[in-house]
Amino acid sequence: MEKDKAFIMAEVLNRTATRQPTWSTSGFVTEMQSNELNCATEQVGNYFLNPNWDNSMDQSDPFESALSSMVSSPAASNVLPVSGENVMMRELIGKLGNICNSGDISPQFSIKPNANTGSANASFNSTPLNSPPRLNLSMVNLPAPFSADPGFAERAARFSCFSGLNDPLMDSFKLSGNQSIKVDGSQSIKNSPMEANSPENAESGVSKEDSSVSQQIPARNDAGTRKRKSIPRGKAKEIPSPAAADAKVATENGESNSKRSKQDGSPGNGNEKQSKENSKPPEPPKDYIHVRARRGQATDSHSLAERVRREKISERMKFLQDLVPGCNKVTGKAVMLDEIINYVQSLQRQVEFLSMKLANVNPRSDINMEALLSKDMFQSRGSLLHGIYSMDSSAPTFPFGYQPQQGLHLNSGIPNATETQFSMKTQGFQLPSIDGFTDANPHVGSIWEDDLQSIVQMGFGQNQPQGYQGSIATGQVKIEL
Amino acid sequence: MDSQLLNPTSLKSRFTARFLRALTKINAPNPISSSSPTPREIFQRYRRIKVAADKSMAYSVRSRTTWSRATLSRLRTRSRHRRLASFGPRSSVTTAAVLKKTSSHGKENEGGLGVQAGELRELVPGGEAMDLCNLLDETAHYIKCLTTQVQVMKTIANLYSLE
Repeated sequence: MEKDKAFIMAEVLNRTATRQPTWSTSGFVTEMQSNELNCATEQVGNYFLNPNWDNSMDQSDPFESALSSMVSSPAASNVLPVSGENVMMRELIGKLGNICNSGDISPQFSIKPNANTGSANASFNSTPLNSPPRLNLSMVNLPAPFSADPGFAERAARFSCFSGLNDPLMDSFKLSGNQSIKVDGSQSIKNSPMEANSPENAESGVSKEDSSVSQQIPARNDAGTRKRKSIPRGKAKEIPSPAAADAKVATENGESNSKRSKQDGSPGNGNEKQSKENSKPPEPPKDYIHVRARRGQATDSHSLAERVRREKISERMKFLQDLVPGCNKVTGKAVMLDEIINYVQSLQRQVEFLSMKLANVNPRSDINMEALLSKDMFQSRGSLLHGIYSMDSSAPTFPFGYQPQQGLHLNSGIPNATETQFSMKTQGFQLPSIDGFTDANPHVGSIWEDDLQSIVQMGFGQNQPQGYQGSIATGQVKIEL
Repeated sequence: MDSQLLNPTSLKSRFTARFLRALTKINAPNPISSSSPTPREIFQRYRRIKVAADKSMAYSVRSRTTWSRATLSRLRTRSRHRRLASFGPRSSVTTAAVLKKTSSHGKENEGGLGVQAGELRELVPGGEAMDLCNLLDETAHYIKCLTTQVQVMKTIANLYSLE
């Protein structure tokens, strides 16, 4: 199915390539394919990003919320590198795509509050703003199944404005987008891309884009800035585009126009404290993103750019602080960086050590890898698995007075809470020949937990911890449930 | 505990699948009855396993991050060097030259963090040619992937030591 989707993607991209020769599609093909494959879901329609974005944000996944907060705050100023550092763009979008897949980050990381959900949506919806070629390619030719992400409709409409695409495909797309919007109530509800007055847009970044569209088309200014004010913003400016020449001219036009048009309304809306803008009307394309200086600070372009960069960097440092365990008390960038460096080094050393260990441990029989590959094995209770297996390795060392069947229970009923399907699979195992043990007793269930406790206590002392670092010791401590 | 099933296309699953396949390939030639492999063999296996781990992680990430691309190209040039031992590391020289050109202008705005940034650049593959901002992004993703790798390898090692 992934191959089919990739094939369809390639077709779509090839078709659109002829329409828009200015956009090089080769890079995008690979990128889209990778995104596609990485975000493969059952829904055929969603070619770009995760249709379960809302769902995934509801799970308090630390990486997701942290990453989205990281992404959202630069995007809160509504511009991701317009400079079109396409590499950076792709990475971020790829990361966003990966967010849907990263539901399994290790639980030891601190969990960020989900207050970022709203701004995350904003960021999520605003990132495509800066990569219209990619999105446009993905959205053409997909009429019906956009129920998941109504933001697509707005983006499609916007892109059609930008690129002048007015084929019936886009119209039908807009229509379908409208229909899909009604389906999903969590997103902003709009009946047409023209309207920008939905009250629910306070948190969704879609509002910003819609307002931009509306400003572009009927040139309505008020709604956009009103929405923008409600979106919390840490920075007062957008990120200046260093290498504007990188972006395609069309996108440059579109983006700078939209930004400026969004900003146009702010004089009329005097409540904006941190309004950034130029009061220029939409014009022929310029290369700069205009930034307003904060009160009491230097105003020359260099220092502004510097300040923006510094804020970007501190955003990322904060995000890294959440990633690296035990960095909450650390203040200051230098110390933080030292911690990060140490952590990366320790991780790399751990990988080396583990590969050495794997080289030493020679499996006697290739224990059915298919079962290992079943997703049940690698659920987030990895620590439990560690406990179980490190315990099992000591099972043969028990005095043989201990009922050997228990050991088989251990081996066959591996992750206790898995579905019966898996436990039935384990029956098919050819268990490694542990001395004195006979066939697997198919009765796993309740005996498992009681024995587990006792075995744990007995086996824990006998289990010799490997010469790992501290993380493994904690993994074994977790055995005692 | 929660009973959410793992996303079959998540980074972890992709990496696990690839890595296990590579492992079985590496372990396959060993006859089951071999008792004590020589240290040299162990070392060779260790190297192969390490390469397999890095490679499968980089492949699971595709080319979405700079570090994965750098890792992949590094692995490829290394394997190429092994085969064409007589030719010498021409490719690495050229890439180093290119990197030197690109790296200089991206690093102006580090503030007082130049030393640490340099160290971080050494650690994260492909970090030489990035400014601090992107470097931090790469580091975040790299850390995430490394932790996944460590987790999976730990589990596999424990599984193997079962027997």
